[in-house]
Amino acid sequence: MIEVRNLTKSLPNGRKLLDGISFKVNKGEFVGILGPSGAGKTLTLRCLNGLLKPDSGEVIIEDEKGVGHDICKVNKRELRRVRQRIGVIFQGYHLVKRLSALENVMIGRLGQISTLRSILYGFTDEEAAGALEALGKIKIAHLAENKTGNLSGGEMQRVAIARAIFQMPTLLLADEPISNLDPSSAKVIMKLIRPLSETMPVVGVFHQPEMTAKYCTRVIAIKDGKVIYDGDPKLSNDMLVEIYGEELSLIEQQEHAVPPPLIATN
Amino acid sequence: MSTVEISLPSKKYKRKVTVFSAALIIVSIACVYMGFNPIGIFTEFHFVRDLLGEMFMPNYKVLWNNSSIGFSIVQTLSMAFLGTLYGGIIAIILAFLAALNTMPLKIVRVITRFTLSLVRVVPILVVILIFVIAVGPGTFAGLLTLVITTIGTFGKLFAEIIENTENPPAEAIFSVGASRLQVIRYSIIPQILPSFIANLLYAFDINMRAAIGLGIFGGGGIGFELYMATHVLHYKDVTALISLIIVLVILVEKLSDYLRRKILGEGNLK
Amino acid sequence: MIMTLKKYSLKRYRKYILPLILLLVVTEGAAIACGATFGKLETGLLNGLSFLGYMFPPDWSAFAEMVQPAFQSIVIAFLGTVFGTLLSVVFALLAAANISNPWVRNVTRFLIGLERSIPEIIILLLLIAAFGLGAMPGIIALALGCIGMLGKLLADTIEELDPVMMESMQSVGANKMQIIVFGVLPQIMPNLISYTLFRFEINIRLSVILGAVGAGGVGYELDYSFGMLQYHRAFTALLVIIIMIFGTERLSYMLRGRIKMEGALK
Repeated sequence: MIEVRNLTKSLPNGRKLLDGISFKVNKGEFVGILGPSGAGKTLTLRCLNGLLKPDSGEVIIEDEKGVGHDICKVNKRELRRVRQRIGVIFQGYHLVKRLSALENVMIGRLGQISTLRSILYGFTDEEAAGALEALGKIKIAHLAENKTGNLSGGEMQRVAIARAIFQMPTLLLADEPISNLDPSSAKVIMKLIRPLSETMPVVGVFHQPEMTAKYCTRVIAIKDGKVIYDGDPKLSNDMLVEIYGEELSLIEQQEHAVPPPLIATN
Repeated sequence: MSTVEISLPSKKYKRKVTVFSAALIIVSIACVYMGFNPIGIFTEFHFVRDLLGEMFMPNYKVLWNNSSIGFSIVQTLSMAFLGTLYGGIIAIILAFLAALNTMPLKIVRVITRFTLSLVRVVPILVVILIFVIAVGPGTFAGLLTLVITTIGTFGKLFAEIIENTENPPAEAIFSVGASRLQVIRYSIIPQILPSFIANLLYAFDINMRAAIGLGIFGGGGIGFELYMATHVLHYKDVTALISLIIVLVILVEKLSDYLRRKILGEGNLK
Repeated sequence: MIMTLKKYSLKRYRKYILPLILLLVVTEGAAIACGATFGKLETGLLNGLSFLGYMFPPDWSAFAEMVQPAFQSIVIAFLGTVFGTLLSVVFALLAAANISNPWVRNVTRFLIGLERSIPEIIILLLLIAAFGLGAMPGIIALALGCIGMLGKLLADTIEELDPVMMESMQSVGANKMQIIVFGVLPQIMPNLISYTLFRFEINIRLSVILGAVGAGGVGYELDYSFGMLQYHRAFTALLVIIIMIFGTERLSYMLRGRIKMEGALK
């Protein structure tokens, strides 16, 4: 379970980037956060795992024992402990390219291994076996020894998902996980993420309303730092315009614009 | 379930340990062979502390009392400047003689390239020692050394730059009936100019540091003054001179950067 | 619009006149300072060349005596590079904006820049003043000399690493040391090896020069021979040095080529 209460963050000049964001996500839900660029979606997500500290508000995450921790208030060590159980998938290339897929998956548990042991010894065989299993669940076990940099975008995201699974998390966050992928790879990734929500809450930021409509259980729309919609993933056309309003109308403007003359006439 | 072959971490660890141990043993043997005790740096640190004690406070008076210091700076700069200038010019000429697209006669190219390789491979130490004997110690020997080393370092490089110019413009100019020299003027030179200038400025930077180093072997200039100061154990003078050298090197570096940006900036607009 | 044809007169060269005069003045002044008039240059170079001819042929019997000193020079360069690389990695990590805090980073960058400005010979002179003659000051001087070049190159390489990769590792709970060991080091490894090999080439040449000042090895033999007016012996030393440098260059080039292949295939 993850609960967000009244997140606010402002720029020094007073402009509000986040203005009272609140929502709650339980196990079994796959929430997609939509919104126009700069609305605050990614900022919100970063607050959810502590990469960003809001000016005020609470982010309460339940750990494996059911105890809630307020991310915004914990100290560095506790933050590290809580993060061990938060799986994250980012957009694009965020894995260590020169390491193998297997090693990248094992990195997921670095937070759970003592620093000394991880640096001096490395990973154990049991951890390797577990990581291989995680890769198997995503059906890319055969790529275990490949250098991650050699994989395609879709395969890399699958490794990232395997890493998240390997962490045995209580929460899964995704920051535009399919924005860099071609449509078929994107579908594969969404199909892989969806079943994960059965064991933990999944919150993802997306730019693709048609994808969230198909795979998410719930959609939250953020615009100008505020939650303006929280409910059924299948958004009506009016709702889409309201969310992306200015952007859509900009696109329409472009379509009707008169092209500039090629030769100056004067 | 998994029929995938993976390298077990435990095996990897064993391999890592073996490699690391082997490296450690090699390095240790090398240290023993040379009589080098790395720990000695720390156990014998008092030597360093004593030296530092003698070196502070820097005696900047040596700069005004001794007018030759100021002159020696001028000498070092001059050495670097002329070495770059003359060496650069000769290097450019040789480069044109050695490049495939500017020298059609194979025999000339071969001889030039061979000469350039020869010059490149002779260490700077030998060059200065020879010139000190041939023309006597002092800044002249240093200058000649820098000329030779500049040719060695940049001759081959310049030839490669010339050869890497794009061919189509040259062919175009040839096809309107121009002579080879005209091709060089209008096709090759504009292409290589930015690179040459950048490299020459870089050469000035390198030659500056080299000129300082050469002073120790009889090359004159501020390096020589520094060497003298250490020999007579005037460590406070040494510190003053070193700080002066640092300032000098940084200034030359900044100057070289500035000139490069100024000249090449203009070049881009041409 | 009528375009006026600018006369392609010699006037357009006017802007070159002033710099050219300046150049001539400086050149003349510099020549006076060095005692190097034009005629002297030509005779000077020819004298040097003829002297080289005089040094030929080499003293064949001295070849055997040069082997050990040559080996010593190589070992000095080797040790200097090994310790120098270790030092440089530490400095580079401290000087990378994405690893260390701004204050430490700026101080370290300043130190690196400072080291670059001091020619290695001067460092050697100081070390000899402290520790006496021998291999030790030579090795330390070479090691310290690496910092200026390797430290800067590696720090720049580290700063160019993908920040998302590091955020991703942070998000699973890894701490800074783990991020360095599992994220930064694997990614910079090809660069590290390549730069180190290149520096080794430079250190071999430096080892010869430093040897002449007092660090021992074949550089010392060369200087000694010159001092003893045994020019043929000096020529032998020269040949040995040339072989040494040439061999090292070939080796380094070959190894770096293999690293590039590996790196390209990832």
